[in-house]
Amino acid sequence: MQIVSGGVTDLGRVRSNNEDSFRIVEPLNLFILSDGMGGEAHGEIASSLAVDTIEKICSSSKGDAEVTLDGTSTSENWTEPTRVLQNAVFQANFGIYQSSQEHPEQRGMGATLTVGWINGSKLSLAHVGDSRAYLLRTGSLQQLTNDHSLVAEQVRRGIITPQQAEESEMQSVLLRALGAHPEVDVDLDEFELFPRDVLLLCSDGLTRMVTEPEIAGTLQAETDPEKAAQKLVDLANERGGLDNVTVIVARLQDESKGWFSWLRRDSGKKD
Amino acid sequence: MAKLSLMFEQKLVKEVPIGNRPVTIGRSPDNDLPVDNLAVSNYHARVYFEGARLVVEDLDSLNGTFVNDLRVERATLHDGDSIWIGKHHIKVDATADTAIPWDSGRKTAAPKINETMVLDTKVRRDMLQQAAAMGERSQFSPGRMKMPTLIVLNGRVDQKEYVLTNKLTVIGKSPMATVRLRGWFKPRVAAQINQRDDGYYLGTGAKIPVVNGSPIPGPVRLNDGDLIEICGVRMNFVIRE
Repeated sequence: MQIVSGGVTDLGRVRSNNEDSFRIVEPLNLFILSDGMGGEAHGEIASSLAVDTIEKICSSSKGDAEVTLDGTSTSENWTEPTRVLQNAVFQANFGIYQSSQEHPEQRGMGATLTVGWINGSKLSLAHVGDSRAYLLRTGSLQQLTNDHSLVAEQVRRGIITPQQAEESEMQSVLLRALGAHPEVDVDLDEFELFPRDVLLLCSDGLTRMVTEPEIAGTLQAETDPEKAAQKLVDLANERGGLDNVTVIVARLQDESKGWFSWLRRDSGKKD
Repeated sequence: MAKLSLMFEQKLVKEVPIGNRPVTIGRSPDNDLPVDNLAVSNYHARVYFEGARLVVEDLDSLNGTFVNDLRVERATLHDGDSIWIGKHHIKVDATADTAIPWDSGRKTAAPKINETMVLDTKVRRDMLQQAAAMGERSQFSPGRMKMPTLIVLNGRVDQKEYVLTNKLTVIGKSPMATVRLRGWFKPRVAAQINQRDDGYYLGTGAKIPVVNGSPIPGPVRLNDGDLIEICGVRMNFVIRE
């Protein structure tokens, strides 16, 4: 499947440094986004370390994912790329943890990480923290990740409502992030993609400022991925831009199969 | 090798190594670390390795087990942590070959909310417990497994019912769809169900689904017993326990 993509990161209107990092590895259809945390410039160190590690491991993987740092193996039967991703996240986590152990001034640095890797029509997703992955399909926006934040956990347990979560002053409290411990639990998932699906990865600087219907509308109206990402960043900044904003948009092109696809599209309309 | 040192005031009482077997702590003399104090339960807590992780588990003791001032039921231990049981404390030496010092000073501070921060597992459990105690409305009971299910009432699909186990459930003609519609002119993706933090949301696809008689304007949260109509298929959304 042909994929076009683009990404934008921005300081926002309030922060003095950008702790977000992202990378699009086009030949691999690999999309990486990380939101760092920690004092001074350490958030940047953590998030770029995360992004670099994921790129390095995924680029060099030749279907050999048996090396894992941590003993926690998933029981589910993931495809090879997903297992490679899992290992890559373990390594990224350990790298950040180790760096913060070796450099006392980096204590407490960490990062979120959301990675999408498309192989054929299969999307592999690895996720830790409160950045998010969404899928826009036939006009509706689906959230593919669960935030590892205190408020999201409280919503899942039925203690507070999603509305209360949005108003909570505890929104920045994470339950999971890279670099906090030598080992980390990673959320993994796989999805079958359809032509014209749009994958969105974003940091919380977007989702706290812009509503989901607005995100869906922007992605539908602007088909150029880079421009769509920029529009979302602009929107977050118009609303106050309280945090760094990073957006990656990847759009799956329609398969062109000549008259056959034309016929099929036509039949869809008649329905 | 990792070891535990039982201390009273500043004096070392006993030291035990942590091997493959759990180290038991309690007032009864048959414990690996007997603690002679009335505030301590007969079998109070135990410490053991779970993979590479050192874990302390409270055995439903009366007065509780504390790790660095926080009451815990079960917590991961780090080098330099102190387990408090009654007036005694147990120093954790988790050094194997490489020393992994743990900055125990930083987690006692109250969270600063502006900066993004990560909660320690111990702090997290504590906060969630507090939150749960406050939230009387909590409908969530961890003992019950909830199984959201679509029961097909009529229409041409490939199964009679579907248990929703994925983040995303596609209803459509596509071979990748979970709920596969049969027949001519059915769209590949007619509608989708997205599992979110607070429940399951039905969203549009190529078609606008009808829920309890009304077409949905956008993604709607499904409630137990909702009737869904899409492409001539009628289904009941139920949450089984």
